[in-house]
Amino acid sequence: MGESSFFSFVIDHVSQFLSYTAFANYTMGHLIMICVGLIFIYLAIAKGFEPMLLVPIGFGILIGNIAFQPGYEIGIYEHGSVLNYLYFGVRYGIYPPLIFLGIGAMTDFSALISNPKLIVVGAAAQLGIFGAYAIALALGFSPNEAGAIGIIGGADGPTAIFLSSKLAPDLIGAIAISAYSYMALVPVIQPPIMRLLTTKKERVIRMKPSRAVSKKEKIIFAIAGMILTTSIVPSGLPLLGMLFLGNLLKESGVTKRLADTAQGAMIDIVTILIGLTVGASTQATTFLTVKSIGIFVLGALSFAIATFGGVMFVKIFNLFLKDGNKINPLIGNAGVSAVPHSARVSQVVGLSYDKTNHLLMHAMGPNVAGVIGSAVAAGILLSFLG
Amino acid sequence: MRLIRNKFLAVVISLIGLGVGQLYGQSALDLRINEVLVYNDSNYVDDFGVHSPWIEIFNSAYNTVDIGGLYLTDDLSQPMKYPIFKGQPITQIPPRSYIVFWADDKPTRGILHLNFTLEAGKTIALFDANGRTLVDSVTIPHSVIRDVTYGRLVDGGAEWGNLDKSTPNADNDTSVKVLAGDEFARMDPTGLGMAAIAMTVVFLALALLSVFFKYMGKVMSIDIKKQLEARAAAKARAGVQAVVGEEEASELELTGELNAAIAMTLYLYATELHDAENTVLTINRVSRTYSPWSSKIYGLRKFPN
Repeated sequence: MGESSFFSFVIDHVSQFLSYTAFANYTMGHLIMICVGLIFIYLAIAKGFEPMLLVPIGFGILIGNIAFQPGYEIGIYEHGSVLNYLYFGVRYGIYPPLIFLGIGAMTDFSALISNPKLIVVGAAAQLGIFGAYAIALALGFSPNEAGAIGIIGGADGPTAIFLSSKLAPDLIGAIAISAYSYMALVPVIQPPIMRLLTTKKERVIRMKPSRAVSKKEKIIFAIAGMILTTSIVPSGLPLLGMLFLGNLLKESGVTKRLADTAQGAMIDIVTILIGLTVGASTQATTFLTVKSIGIFVLGALSFAIATFGGVMFVKIFNLFLKDGNKINPLIGNAGVSAVPHSARVSQVVGLSYDKTNHLLMHAMGPNVAGVIGSAVAAGILLSFLG
Repeated sequence: MRLIRNKFLAVVISLIGLGVGQLYGQSALDLRINEVLVYNDSNYVDDFGVHSPWIEIFNSAYNTVDIGGLYLTDDLSQPMKYPIFKGQPITQIPPRSYIVFWADDKPTRGILHLNFTLEAGKTIALFDANGRTLVDSVTIPHSVIRDVTYGRLVDGGAEWGNLDKSTPNADNDTSVKVLAGDEFARMDPTGLGMAAIAMTVVFLALALLSVFFKYMGKVMSIDIKKQLEARAAAKARAGVQAVVGEEEASELELTGELNAAIAMTLYLYATELHDAENTVLTINRVSRTYSPWSSKIYGLRKFPN
């Protein structure tokens, strides 16, 4: 009697333990998401697509989709869990400005300062944001959701997370994954559109070499850039303020330690946290919806529209420029702020038509202007819809 | 110099102090008397189950404000009539939130129970912690209705009136609110308006930067120092030419010292002149093999300081 009760006791507890394991709780959704996570990790390691982002995000997807029974403070959406605490930085838009601080400390704005007319190319590429906004509205998304989805076209992960945390917190996971995925796929999405919109003659336009920019100009840029842009769109202050602060730390030359920390250890830590938590937020139970699929489709469209906007703007702009001052339209795509990937695309596509025509430094101008432009666009959406 | 520096520091510290004081003052000044119920027959009851008149204070700021230490009064000649307790968690009013005081003249019932009651025609006032600065006040009109609250039509707004609903600890404006996004979508269902406006703003912001840096680049390329130097050099050249001209004019006026110097130079040139050096310079590489036995550090007897 005693033995049988002991065995039933053990069997009860073993079966209870088994019911708590992930194997007993997996659904088809979890397995699909685990496959997605594995694909991300594969693309990062084997193909070298944005490994800094895709490895933590991919692994985060795996973490977020290990099935468990709720109520044990494990999941990212469960109050009191460690992942929930880390997710706080995403939900309240804390991580993106910190990443912008690091980006500011990494970015050299010389290309932009030396040729200021390239700044407006960065503005043209923001067409992707508002094009996707209009399409999302037409597809039945609410205005706030449409705004958050549209920002994917800015090709700026931190900005997308920041805006969606304010306008559509439920969609952060899908928007962030979409934004980072397409940023990694910039070399695949952009070149066909660039080739389609340009003629052979336009692709070999040689641009004047950039002039040297003094340290004083760079310092003034960081200060004046912040004052001018945030005075127009104060709601972009968290992102733009941190971006230009990071840049001032770098360019001032007197805060080397701070600049090194911002562009080194700090941005690495925040990137790990943001990647992990955004990945983990794709829990199948909340992520696998028709809306998420819609967001992915719209994300691809917004990138395409942004590339179209940038290239077409340069072509139109060239009509007003004298011979010798013309801009190669292959740098128009760089207006999306995937720094420096889209500038690298300009360089690669440019070299395929003229092996001696290096466009990288010219493309860096609209590329970094795109970072500012997408933050300004996020500020506008926030002030209109927030 | 040190005196000037100290004075400068004192000014900076004073300004910071003033700023902090101002900030604190602004927080307290953000409080508003928001809604009052003068005659409470069947309206809300207090924590003792009694229908009492009440005063709602609204924190219009976007930060928490502590109302503790401020004063409520129904008599402007006695601004410190009811001191609100300090250091109580309940007196911390969160951003855009409220606190309700019961004007039942029963202060022994708790820190939210005042030592006066409300009547039509009375002026209710909130004074800052110094007892002199008036934060906000309202004179209750004689037209107040029993069980109907008299309050600001919008929280913290300027207009007062009898409210449709009593809203202690809640927004006075009870009309259905439309979200900014929904309103925008209603006015611009296709999103084209948003695209046009937003793209214009983005272009404007970046064009402003572009124009600024275009002209800044031109200004920066003007090297004022170099220009000044060039101007000075031109002036100097003009001065030298003038001097040379004068010297040419006074060519015959050679002094004895000048003649002596010229003679000495010519003599030295004539006597020291030679074409070849008689010294041979040889450069050889000298190598010294390092040996720890010859190192001085092993011979040190005294520890270095």
